[in-house]
Amino acid sequence: MNGSWRALLRLFAVQGTWNYERMLGVGMGYAAEPLLEDLKTVDPVRHSEAVVRSTDFFNCHPNLAGLALGAIARAEYDAMPGQQIVRLRTALCSPLGSLGDQLFWAGLVPGLSGLALAAVVLGAGWWAIAGYLLAYNLVRLGTARWALKTGLDTGMQVGAAIGRSWVTRWIPRIGVAAGFAVGLAVPLVAAWSLEGIGTVGAVGTLAVAATGVVVTRWFGPALTVIRFALLAMVLLLVFRWIGL
Amino acid sequence: MTELTLSQALLLIIWGVLVAVDLVSVPQAMICRPLVAGTVAGWIAGDVEAGLRVGVLFELFALDVLPIGAVRYPDYGPATVAAAALSAGAPWELGLGVSGALGLVLAVLGDWSLQLVRRINARAIQHHAAALAAGEGPAIRRLQYSGLARDAARGAALTTLGLLAGWLLANSLRIDRATALGLTLVCVGSALSAAVTGAIRSAGRDARLRWLLGGAVVGLILAVLR
Repeated sequence: MNGSWRALLRLFAVQGTWNYERMLGVGMGYAAEPLLEDLKTVDPVRHSEAVVRSTDFFNCHPNLAGLALGAIARAEYDAMPGQQIVRLRTALCSPLGSLGDQLFWAGLVPGLSGLALAAVVLGAGWWAIAGYLLAYNLVRLGTARWALKTGLDTGMQVGAAIGRSWVTRWIPRIGVAAGFAVGLAVPLVAAWSLEGIGTVGAVGTLAVAATGVVVTRWFGPALTVIRFALLAMVLLLVFRWIGL
Repeated sequence: MTELTLSQALLLIIWGVLVAVDLVSVPQAMICRPLVAGTVAGWIAGDVEAGLRVGVLFELFALDVLPIGAVRYPDYGPATVAAAALSAGAPWELGLGVSGALGLVLAVLGDWSLQLVRRINARAIQHHAAALAAGEGPAIRRLQYSGLARDAARGAALTTLGLLAGWLLANSLRIDRATALGLTLVCVGSALSAAVTGAIRSAGRDARLRWLLGGAVVGLILAVLR
């Protein structure tokens, strides 16, 4: 099967047509195109069916989409029944979404953000930014390549391969590291942001922060942090306007 | 806001487009993170320190966002770019509040514009349903490229709007020093509350919560020792 490098590149734009109907569907079809090219000469009818299936509804974490893409392409070449491929595609949505969200959105990204924030406060400047981008993209690239290769190698057995993989082992480790990094960053950034402000200003800022934590948790989605911030700023302007 | 030259404004819009498409469409390399977007925008606008301050502020807000599944979330990328441009050239303690307010409004608009692009993407797919059902490769590619183009146009529009709004604010808003400082403190306080809320929510009640608290203790010690 050729075209795996082109498919890997296209996976970076897998969410290019994200929508609430097919979600990643069309992006998966776009990424699958190079992988399915060889099928056109072997079995044109099967190729046509495979392309149609590849653009159907699909959703998962974009960084792990290669697992599904590779596995489905392999299954198409292995001439698995279409119904079975559709079931595999459906079955992979939730696990790949959940694993990717825990690994990247709740783990690596906040963890690296926390470290970068702490590094900026401690004077790293541009190095903090460069380190953040380099670390994230090395993991991202490595994961994308591993995901596509694992999918292509294992086909219908991809579920077992995911279960045995490093992903499930690393999620808890990255999670606690992210917790530590964010915990480290918040007091450092608070102290950095309040330097030279004076005691009254610092106490006022921390009071706003504490109020924000309490009321946004109390009201839930009805009062997001952005709404709280804008509301607090409008209140401040009103108080200043009436002379308080 | 320092007076931007035409080339600086164009570079900021191009940077705004790149960070806007990076959020969801391509390549998700995390240049959309406010810390990155803000620092580079500050550099383009001629004030790296201001960009870094704005970037740190919005990075704290962004820690509250967990973009899982089909959840809606603010787009802090172009918002941070415009806020960094507005903040450039002003003392940070006086400029950060107004820039923060502009950025927060733009982030909300960014969320709304993302929904709009997604709805238009869905309509385009419905329009090409027959071609997709026939397995036509060119239709898939056309849909993909037009989706990317829509997101890029969204980023350009948001950043341009933000820069124009920033220019208007810089030239028409007259507030006293105490009010400007108050806005900054409210903005920083809200950003800290966002980071803490996000961290507590992600931590749950298990080991991660203990590590979060451990990190906070180490952070406090380092903050005192600095």
